[in-house]
Amino acid sequence: MTLADQLAAVVAQLRRSTVQVRGRGAAAGSGSGIVWKPGVIVTNAHVATKGFTLVEPADGSVREARVVASDPRRDLAVLGVDTTGLTPADIAPAGTLRVGSLVLAVGNPFGLSGAVTTGIVHKLSERRRRTRLILADVRLLPGNSGGPLGDAAGRVVGVNAMILRGLAAAIPSDVVERFVREAQLAA
Amino acid sequence: MDTLQMLSDNLADAVDHAAAWVVAVNARPRIAASGVHWRPGVVVTTHHTVRREEDITVTLSDGRTVPATLAGRDAATDLAVLRIDGSGVPPASFAEPGSLKVGHVVLQVGRTGSAGHSASFGVVSTIVGPWRTWRGAEIDQLFQLDLAIHDGFSGSPLVDSQGNVVGLNTSGLLRGTPAALPLSVVNRVMDALLTKGRIARGYLGVGLQPVEVPSALGGKLDPPRRTGLIVLAVDADSPGGRGGLQLSDVIVAVDHQSVADVRDLLALLAPERVGSTVAVEVLRGGTPHTIRVTIAERPTR
Repeated sequence: MTLADQLAAVVAQLRRSTVQVRGRGAAAGSGSGIVWKPGVIVTNAHVATKGFTLVEPADGSVREARVVASDPRRDLAVLGVDTTGLTPADIAPAGTLRVGSLVLAVGNPFGLSGAVTTGIVHKLSERRRRTRLILADVRLLPGNSGGPLGDAAGRVVGVNAMILRGLAAAIPSDVVERFVREAQLAA
Repeated sequence: MDTLQMLSDNLADAVDHAAAWVVAVNARPRIAASGVHWRPGVVVTTHHTVRREEDITVTLSDGRTVPATLAGRDAATDLAVLRIDGSGVPPASFAEPGSLKVGHVVLQVGRTGSAGHSASFGVVSTIVGPWRTWRGAEIDQLFQLDLAIHDGFSGSPLVDSQGNVVGLNTSGLLRGTPAALPLSVVNRVMDALLTKGRIARGYLGVGLQPVEVPSALGGKLDPPRRTGLIVLAVDADSPGGRGGLQLSDVIVAVDHQSVADVRDLLALLAPERVGSTVAVEVLRGGTPHTIRVTIAERPTR
């Protein structure tokens, strides 16, 4: 496979597990989400607003979601959704990233489904040898919030959460995994 | 292993390779700027990020912060050179000069403190040159980059896909847009700064704009002149001011050479002309005058 074909395959893999997340009604904001495991979609707390949340996968279906857990401090939310027919993402620990590693962001800016941007890891913000935040030199737009940051193998390494001085700031997959486990225990 | 993963690993390897000799230069309030351990004990950074000349320190890749002394700075090329005790950290490795072409993939590797290095990715957008900087330095080449500027960009190395230095990054030469000086320019300026501490450049101390000289006036001159430079500002305590240049004088020739452009005049202000006296022909109120001006050295700031 050529480099271009491989890139297209990696993008397709990430898009399969990316959904659009929005509130009900015209005024509701929208963002992105990741099919983390069967029945579980992960997004940012600032995307999963209270009340009804709708999830739209790339297959065109619209599914109702329930906010199972939301933590504004970590800016993460777990949605309970019927994920029948959807492919959960392949998750890799963020520790596999190095400064300079190729990364891809997939999301729904302006309601565009599955928009892709690429770049490299700019900096890894660490605390006690654990990655706290991934800063990537990748262009993000507000609708990217809650969407995946993927690696060169199409695995999800983080959840895009905000734009920090022109850099994409993503929550490492390990932090997300811990949050999902806590949410499921509590539920 | 697939090629995309190989590309990713290759980029991260190049960043790792370069990070060993990228330093943080603490010479301004708040955030540090990047620098390159160019030669053993010699750090090159950008002039505009060095905001103080005393109490400068450099943070090395091994986390140590060591004192640095300013060997010299050159505003015209936006370069500054520091001396450090660089034992224990390797100096930079360089790419073959002239190997960089438009479209080449490049990386920027920066350091703004002891908390690791940072990188961004892009391509060489255009190569311009020979080119004169807005502060009057003549340089043979400048790389314009398609690369995002983040903290630590200026003073950081531009490296190729192998992690070898191809240039020094600065946002100070092209109105805040990303650019890099080639190795030849950095080496030439660094050598001059290490031996003399500065680069002398000629200076008149006047603000000029090109104008057309009406043929009724220009035709009267011998030889006739069609173009000139009108004086829009004069610093009284400058060579031009002391020599007697006045606002609205129109400079038509210097040492009998016509001047159509500010560049023509800057070309006459080369380092070897400092201290020499030139005959400046002006039109003042329509009447030709010749004024003698002694070219002085451009102030460092």
